[in-house]
Amino acid sequence: MPGAKERSNGTELLSDSRNLPIVDPADPGQTDTGVPHSWLTTRLDHVINWARRNSIWPMPFGTACCGIEMMASAASKYDIARFGMERMSFSPRQADLMIVAGRVTYKLAPVLRRVWDQMPQPKWCVSMGACASSGGMFDNYTIVQGIDTIIPVDVYVPGCPPRPEGLIYGLLMIQEKITGESLAMPGLRAESPEAVGAPNLPPETIELVTQPFGNSTIQNRVSGIEPSDAVQRPRDRRERKLEHGG
Amino acid sequence: MPTQEAPTPDLVLAAPLREEGADSEPSVVAVREEFGDKIRDVRLDADGCPVIEVDPDSLFEVLSYLKTDGGQAYDLLLDVMGVDHGGQRPIQVWYPLWSMKHGRRLRVVTQLPLDNLKVSSLASLWETANWLERETFDMFGITFEGHPDLRRILMPENYDEGFPLRKEFPLRGRFSRSEQTRRAMNRSREDVYAREELRMAGELKPELPPAVRPEEAARGHGLDGEHMVINLGPQHPATHGVLRLVLELDGEMVLRCIPHLGYLHTGFEKTCEYREWNQVVPYTDRMDYLAPMLYNIGYAQAVESLLGVQITPRCQVVRVLLSELNRIQGHLLWLGTTGIDLGAFTVFLYTFEERERVYNLHEAYSGARLTTSVTRIGGMMADLPAGWVDAMRDFANTLPDTLDEVERLLSKNSIWLGRTVDVGIIDGETAINYGLTGPNLRASGVAYDVRKARPYLGYDEYDFDLPVGAHGDTYDRYMVRVEEMRQSVRIIQQALDRLPGGPINVDDPSIILPPKSASMSSIDSMIAHFKLVMEGLRVPAGEVWSSIEASKGELGFGLVSDGGSKPVRCRFRGPSFVNLGALARMAEGSILADLIAVNASLDIVLGEIDR
Repeated sequence: MPGAKERSNGTELLSDSRNLPIVDPADPGQTDTGVPHSWLTTRLDHVINWARRNSIWPMPFGTACCGIEMMASAASKYDIARFGMERMSFSPRQADLMIVAGRVTYKLAPVLRRVWDQMPQPKWCVSMGACASSGGMFDNYTIVQGIDTIIPVDVYVPGCPPRPEGLIYGLLMIQEKITGESLAMPGLRAESPEAVGAPNLPPETIELVTQPFGNSTIQNRVSGIEPSDAVQRPRDRRERKLEHGG
Repeated sequence: MPTQEAPTPDLVLAAPLREEGADSEPSVVAVREEFGDKIRDVRLDADGCPVIEVDPDSLFEVLSYLKTDGGQAYDLLLDVMGVDHGGQRPIQVWYPLWSMKHGRRLRVVTQLPLDNLKVSSLASLWETANWLERETFDMFGITFEGHPDLRRILMPENYDEGFPLRKEFPLRGRFSRSEQTRRAMNRSREDVYAREELRMAGELKPELPPAVRPEEAARGHGLDGEHMVINLGPQHPATHGVLRLVLELDGEMVLRCIPHLGYLHTGFEKTCEYREWNQVVPYTDRMDYLAPMLYNIGYAQAVESLLGVQITPRCQVVRVLLSELNRIQGHLLWLGTTGIDLGAFTVFLYTFEERERVYNLHEAYSGARLTTSVTRIGGMMADLPAGWVDAMRDFANTLPDTLDEVERLLSKNSIWLGRTVDVGIIDGETAINYGLTGPNLRASGVAYDVRKARPYLGYDEYDFDLPVGAHGDTYDRYMVRVEEMRQSVRIIQQALDRLPGGPINVDDPSIILPPKSASMSSIDSMIAHFKLVMEGLRVPAGEVWSSIEASKGELGFGLVSDGGSKPVRCRFRGPSFVNLGALARMAEGSILADLIAVNASLDIVLGEIDR
């Protein structure tokens, strides 16, 4: 072709895209890779978890100060779109992750439970801030002493309010948690119809965790989380083990 | 190890309730002449506001005279608040008033014995009284006779644990936590809807409920297959929090709008009665988390007037700087979220960019982004850090550029104009009757601003203008707020120019903690430190209702002290609570989409409404 330049490997540099070679899809063998079909093998869990953790649609249950920090996380500086979470879903029916940001009152508790019940599986919950996690500085007649008495919680984010970095760290922990899930886990996403509209914990446990300083010290035991000296993501823990092993 | 014993008499400072001076106040003279023996007592409070104590029976008469008489013209009812002193003493009800015409303030107080908690309602005089009296009923169990709709407003409709702000009510409630949870989760429909709403929805038979409003009865019951009742909230992106509106719709037209509050009722006022004076400061942040320092400053100022303390000149200017910074902060959030509500997402990103700069200033000073707790009684938590003044000046110099940019996006945008112009009009007189304050009132053409009307922190020495709207529609409320941000920039620049040196805290070891170096080296400072930490700050017996201009309107603090280290009553008059009372009036008769615009334009924050 007149005027056409050559690349160092000898292939021709086209001056017009219309001159691109046309591959017949019915006969892929004619591509110059020489491999007729491409294959990728993987575990089903891996693909599903990869898709789930990178397109989380959060349902922002923002009530108070933490809600403002949640908005800051979604705004341009912190931008949770980087983690595939920019699609805030105000409808619980199209949401995967409930972020409870702020204090929850007894008057609001049935609303919180209703919204949680309306979310389809798979779903996760982040309790953002001291008030949502334990009642915080409001140990009084109107504030629920930890939303885990009402709904199950996956990650607690401390702070009053947590900084956007704190919330993002909590969201990354949710992603880690999703990564560790397997369809083979028995009862992973099981939900009992009797649990709908009911508190998450039995009355005795509610009494236990809502005594003064209750939820902040007993929470781990109730949630079945092993106590640890520092909050770690599973990935952090793995790396540390490797360090010690090596 | 907190000390529980009552203060011994010699520890109580001279009570700042002043008898002299009150008799010469023009309103006091006039009320004395008119009502004579029905006046029980006349005094000045710690802030110099005249207080008239009247018989409960003649309360309506006196207030009606004060409102309608041309020589008094107290047209703005700022607050209705109860005070329970405990020990079976009568419950007080306070009515702080302001006269736009004469620029005077006054407080009418009445005492109700515990066995007869009844007083006539003022709802026929002021629309403001409607919600404020409902709140007082909710919290103290005071029956306001003649009130059109006296039911609980913050607590659930069927709340049966008692009246939270009464002294005998325990802080954690009467029932155990599991019982509270059980009751909360088992609420029936009758518990979350007012009878009127159930009737609107045709749920109740016509002959069963007594008609709450006569016009309601005249219109008939049920929906006749045409009207629809819907819930907007409490979980809805356009209600700016957990506000719930029950709407009766005829097609797209809003016929009735009944707001339900209290989904974020946090019990601030009760909890603060169990905290020492300085420990209340962190609670004030969490009411208006959009402009927290204004709350810090207003609260500290109210306690300082109880103490009779004059803060240092440097502290005054620093507080002005922080006030205006937070006014900008609050208005920026309003601008961004209102933009989202009306479909302009870009504005939200622009304003949050500026808010991040304000957060950086907050963080450099207090260490926190939005729960700042910067004030202490008698001063600030610390002096300004190095370099802060330059950063502040840089912010003040560059903010107007962003405002210009936002205005270019909105002010002549035909969608914005279509959504805001002539939407939610309220005229000045009605706005005053509804108790609107702040930008909402000024957009209706009333030039009332606490900074000008009763200058505090030396605001009379600053050169700034009050932007005032002409129509009182949503567009005017937008314009007023944008212009107020520019005026705040002017004030900040003046304050930076005049920022004096010297100490930031008052030089009084009984109020302010001594510096750590002194308390470790001198025995006097160590004792002062010990007493302040162990006993807390002692505030002399007295009462005060003082207010500042917050970003949302007039922010009042009603405080009562018995000379101890904890407040007897800690009342926060949140401007949003009163402003929201006008929502139904502004939205009824408009279309549903305009209700969202009106609600956004009122600039509410639920933390402060529900408290």
